[in-house]
Amino acid sequence: MDFEAIKKVTLILLEYLPNTLSLFAWTLVFSIPVGMIVTWLKKCRCKPVNWLTDLYILIMRGTPLMLQIIAFYYAIPMIVASAVKNGNTGGIIPFFQNIMSSDHYMIIMLVVAFSLNYAAYFAEIFRGGIEAIPKGQYEAAQMLGMTKMQTFFRIILPQVTKRVIPATANEVIVLVKDTSLANVIAFAEITMKAKQQMNFYSSILPLFIAGVFYFVMNAVVTALFSFIEKKFDYYK
Amino acid sequence: MAILEVRNISKKFGDLEVLKDISFNVEVGQVVAIIGPSGSGKSTLLRCVNQLERADSGEIVVDGLTMLHTEDGKAQYADKKTLRDIRLKIGLVFQNFNLFPHFSVLQNVIEAPIHVLKKSKAEATKTAEELLKKMGLETKEKSYPCELSGGQQQRVSIARALALNPQILFFDEPTSALDPELTGEILKVIKELAKEKMTMVIVTHEMAFARDVANHVIFMDQGYIVEEGAPEEVFGNTQNERTKQFLQRYNEN
Repeated sequence: MDFEAIKKVTLILLEYLPNTLSLFAWTLVFSIPVGMIVTWLKKCRCKPVNWLTDLYILIMRGTPLMLQIIAFYYAIPMIVASAVKNGNTGGIIPFFQNIMSSDHYMIIMLVVAFSLNYAAYFAEIFRGGIEAIPKGQYEAAQMLGMTKMQTFFRIILPQVTKRVIPATANEVIVLVKDTSLANVIAFAEITMKAKQQMNFYSSILPLFIAGVFYFVMNAVVTALFSFIEKKFDYYK
Repeated sequence: MAILEVRNISKKFGDLEVLKDISFNVEVGQVVAIIGPSGSGKSTLLRCVNQLERADSGEIVVDGLTMLHTEDGKAQYADKKTLRDIRLKIGLVFQNFNLFPHFSVLQNVIEAPIHVLKKSKAEATKTAEELLKKMGLETKEKSYPCELSGGQQQRVSIARALALNPQILFFDEPTSALDPELTGEILKVIKELAKEKMTMVIVTHEMAFARDVANHVIFMDQGYIVEEGAPEEVFGNTQNERTKQFLQRYNEN
């Protein structure tokens, strides 16, 4: 490959970078709040809810994300097809048909699969953070007459945030790279495009260029997280 | 006038009876020291009175408000509002301070006055500054707990408890996490408070201090109050064999 070809491949990857980035960003937007909810469900006092949450985390962390992507992508069309075949067109079926006919069906299902998967990991990180807060913090707040909400939002949450930053950074870095799994359903992100260019040029260089893209994205993520970590450095 | 009345409190952890039929009173302005060997139930008693543990039976009355009474052998706690009112009459200083690490010294002290008592920030800050000055910490307002010595942290936690203007202040082994030098500065602060007629209940292993500052001493062992009385009686002239034994071992060390 000559310099012109390298430039051309880089421009093509740059053109499809927004797809990678939007999968990354939407996954973060949904997986972190969902993760918080899962933590809360796991810590709530209702035993059946705890068991269901455990099962959810077990499945999400216990099976490959790539399989989950395929499953989510094909599940809705299959449900709809079998429902229509049985003459069932009520309930949730019209809603599914709407999503299916959307131009964004692929990215929607990818974000659903990624978010549910990452939420399971985030939930466990957050749980670890909450459980690391000494009991004395709750007792001190209680003795000062603070309500449960005040205790959580003013005393516990800020300390949990500081503690979960390093582990969260890890997950986010993995997420940057995991977006490449979306090529399994032919989502036009940069790994998929790099593979096409690799075949076109019969050269491994396009994959190397894609690697540089991920590397740069993660350099930015790392810098961002060390900045946030420094912000919380004023106390131990 | 009794500000705290404790009647027949019992508490079990599983099969282990930690408190057995405990009764005592605390009068306004009194400084009560609770002494006794480790595992005698002192801290559990304090935690029951402070609502951090639930007693199994008995009666607790704080400043005329009934926090707990027993009906047909079952403990009945007061409604949420009463429990909260009682809580605000009580302050507790912990053995390991439990300051909020993400708040500065000043923020630690003004947090509850602002968010619990709904005082204005200016008012809360003014009170906090006075309290911190009294604790000799006027230059540490902007510091964070991790930057302070253990003794300083414990003084902040005393200021934090006092900021709610409690009618009775409890100390749960306030010097046990401190080395002897730092212990002295905390004991000095407690002595100052005693002079101002602050009502206090102190669980402590500092016998000399208990004798010096308390005007009532309770000796606990194995979940019972073995003996109580004026410090001169308990320390100087006890007739009780168990108390003698305990104090003797202390004097040997």
